[in-house]
Amino acid sequence: MSALSRASAQYSEKIDTEGLLGDPKPMWRQAISRLLAIRSGQIGLVIILILLFIAAFADVISPYNPQQVLIGVEQVKKRDAPCVHFLGCDTAKPQHIMGIDGNVRDEYSRVLHGTRVSLTIGLTTVSAALLFGVFFGAVSGYFGGWIDMIIMRLMDVILGFPSLLLAIAIVAVLGPGIQNALLAISIVTLPQYARVTRASVLSVKELDFVAASKVMGASHRHILFFRVLPNAMTPIVVLATLGIATAILDAAGLSFLGLGAQPPMPEWGTMLGSERNQIFSAPHLVFFPGIAIMITVLGFNLLGDGLRDALDPRLNHS
Amino acid sequence: MNKILLGGLALSALFAAVSVPAAAFEGRTVAAPNCDYGGKIESIVAQDEFTVVFNLCKPDPAFKAKAAFTPFGIEPEEYIDTAGVDGSIISAPIGTGPFKLEAWNRGDSVVYSRFDDYWGEKPAYQTLVYRWNDSGAGRLNELRAGTVDQITNVSPDDYDSVKMDDNLQFIPVVNPNTMYLGMTNTFAPFDNVKVRQAIAMGIDRQRIIDNFYPAGSEVASHFTPCSLPNACVGDPWYDFDPVKAKELLAEAGYPNGFDTKIYYRDVFRGYLPEPSLVAVELQTQLRDNLGINAEVVVMESGEFIDESTSGRLDGFYMLGWGADYPHITNFLDYHFTKGTVQFGNPFPEIYDNLITASTIADTATAEPYYVKANNAIRELVPMVPIAHGASASAALKTLGNAHFPPFGAPQLQFDNPGKDTLVYMQNAEPISLYCADETDGESLAACQPVVETLLNYKMDSGDTVPALATDCSANDEATVWTCTLRQGVKFHDGSSFDANDVVASWAAGIDASNPAHKGNTGSFDYYAYLWDGFMNAPAN
Repeated sequence: MSALSRASAQYSEKIDTEGLLGDPKPMWRQAISRLLAIRSGQIGLVIILILLFIAAFADVISPYNPQQVLIGVEQVKKRDAPCVHFLGCDTAKPQHIMGIDGNVRDEYSRVLHGTRVSLTIGLTTVSAALLFGVFFGAVSGYFGGWIDMIIMRLMDVILGFPSLLLAIAIVAVLGPGIQNALLAISIVTLPQYARVTRASVLSVKELDFVAASKVMGASHRHILFFRVLPNAMTPIVVLATLGIATAILDAAGLSFLGLGAQPPMPEWGTMLGSERNQIFSAPHLVFFPGIAIMITVLGFNLLGDGLRDALDPRLNHS
Repeated sequence: MNKILLGGLALSALFAAVSVPAAAFEGRTVAAPNCDYGGKIESIVAQDEFTVVFNLCKPDPAFKAKAAFTPFGIEPEEYIDTAGVDGSIISAPIGTGPFKLEAWNRGDSVVYSRFDDYWGEKPAYQTLVYRWNDSGAGRLNELRAGTVDQITNVSPDDYDSVKMDDNLQFIPVVNPNTMYLGMTNTFAPFDNVKVRQAIAMGIDRQRIIDNFYPAGSEVASHFTPCSLPNACVGDPWYDFDPVKAKELLAEAGYPNGFDTKIYYRDVFRGYLPEPSLVAVELQTQLRDNLGINAEVVVMESGEFIDESTSGRLDGFYMLGWGADYPHITNFLDYHFTKGTVQFGNPFPEIYDNLITASTIADTATAEPYYVKANNAIRELVPMVPIAHGASASAALKTLGNAHFPPFGAPQLQFDNPGKDTLVYMQNAEPISLYCADETDGESLAACQPVVETLLNYKMDSGDTVPALATDCSANDEATVWTCTLRQGVKFHDGSSFDANDVVASWAAGIDASNPAHKGNTGSFDYYAYLWDGFMNAPAN
């Protein structure tokens, strides 16, 4: 290591230690405390925490295996209405608080396990889109020039298609299935993260502390990933939180069309799609998966709104 | 002056009649060089303007029942020679029926208008509209809203509500049918008979009937519904025995099962009212009883029919059959006779008996052959017969003469909606309107108002009644059928119907060398299967 590089590294460590370039920890701690003070953020967080709990312990809290067919096990028949003893249902009948589905399975257990599937879908797709979107956006914004032009035009091409239509086209080519649906949703949402990251990097890279790093001889990689990106993440975090809700909705839409999760996987969109014709004869089979999707999307939207307010420096949080 | 002119014209006409006789009728013929090709029809000859003779290679006692079937509809000779060759016939049929096609609005409806030169009783209304909706609830909603007059295939869950609705008529459908789980024996592991037998024993068919079929449905003891003569002779199907099934699967080399797929189309049929639920139920049973992991794959209807009947599906597939005409050959010959590739390589143990039996008119004489054929089907398990389903149609109370015949689609020309338009809603859009090359029920139903056959089915049974032929009679051996045609019949394009139209229409289907033998897919399944193959087919 040359003397100049050693000096640069020591300078960087000193700066980081003193937090002069904006140590993210205090900022995030502040943001979380602000989030907890915002009503929409509170509600969103509570919903998400409950959903995470259900997803983690679905096997324990579900009364039945979601794939267990109850023919011959209990005196139930397909599409039986909900039976809740507390609400007056005959105690001689087995209790199924969300009823029985078309294949004579407990709807409640399937809805609970659907939480796990939907959260996995949301987090996986957003993670994948974040990983690649942020990388492409950061490189594009930081280096500019022909790299920027190529990456952004590519993103413009993807954005040129309606997202769900493009996802359907991708799944149609790759074949129906949950993995291909995840891949398709990741691809169609990727440009949003790339664009937001690029915009954020463009503004951050002009700040003085980045210039200081350059003067001290820090490498582009170091500047981009350790100086610029950490300070450009605020809008990306908000977008990702809201993006989970969109991803869950898109995945449910694909599954509703038969292109996403396949039977017998307990996925809310699949459950809705398979019983859509029974909306009048067995409304509970459409209602409960629909409500589950709505609550989950609401939770992530509220949390996203709260985070946006909490992280927005223009708002007076005092 | 006028008088002289008129007299002159009359005289000219008289001279013309005397000196230039009317062009003699030149009858068309379609023929095979001989009967060595294995098919049933040796030749079809337009003997005179209103007589057609079918010379058969072997007796066919079911000739009249087959000839009444929609795929053997008659279109004008000239139109077959042009539109049949360039392919335009598949979307614009010209027939002699009570309605002529006005428009096929793709994705929405088929519109017909009354044909005022129809030879028979004219419909009581002007416009007939066919629409479709693959959702049982959707169809019923439209009926309740009064936007359609009759619907097919009421969902089993809606039977009671339809019966109790004062504005609706519940119409039971007694069409014999069979739903089966198909396998193609050219794909492993279905090429192993022990695997197929294991599957035959490993599926609890009664559980499927009890939970997913309406009342009146029954477990299939044989492939053909027992209401048809000779259908249920021979040993009944295997009892549900998962232990024996697992043993057989282990003997076949699959002690832990295998991975495969269950293909189906999400279309409501009388033999399969809730396909997606039955697919998942079969998936569950295969997993629990046999350790077979089957992925459920839904396919587009036309593609599914094409792939399954061509023997190109590598997994299980759920399909069924509704009777087209009241004879056992309609079930067994279509599925298992020589040349059929739907289940892979056909079995001579089955088709040899079917070919012999199909030439025997007497039911008792044919019985031993059907016993052997049914037992061979049971032993070789080309598929697993699951159910004979009950189904129902529904109509507005105001629809006069609403009906659903046991064979064929409703003959809506006899209905009276009490207004100018009758709207009929079925499950799906027709694949094409050239029904010589279609097997799909929705296509056949949509052809029926336009294209007529030599004979027709009675509204309440499978017996035939005269249509374009006033009579079809056979010689003593039932090898020569002579049909006398109705005179004074007009096609929708204004041309007159004669024997050459019959020969041209049949030739397009049965003669592989005919330039009009193109159709929609070119498979002309009913010609191939019901008459044991095409004449003049290339050697390969």
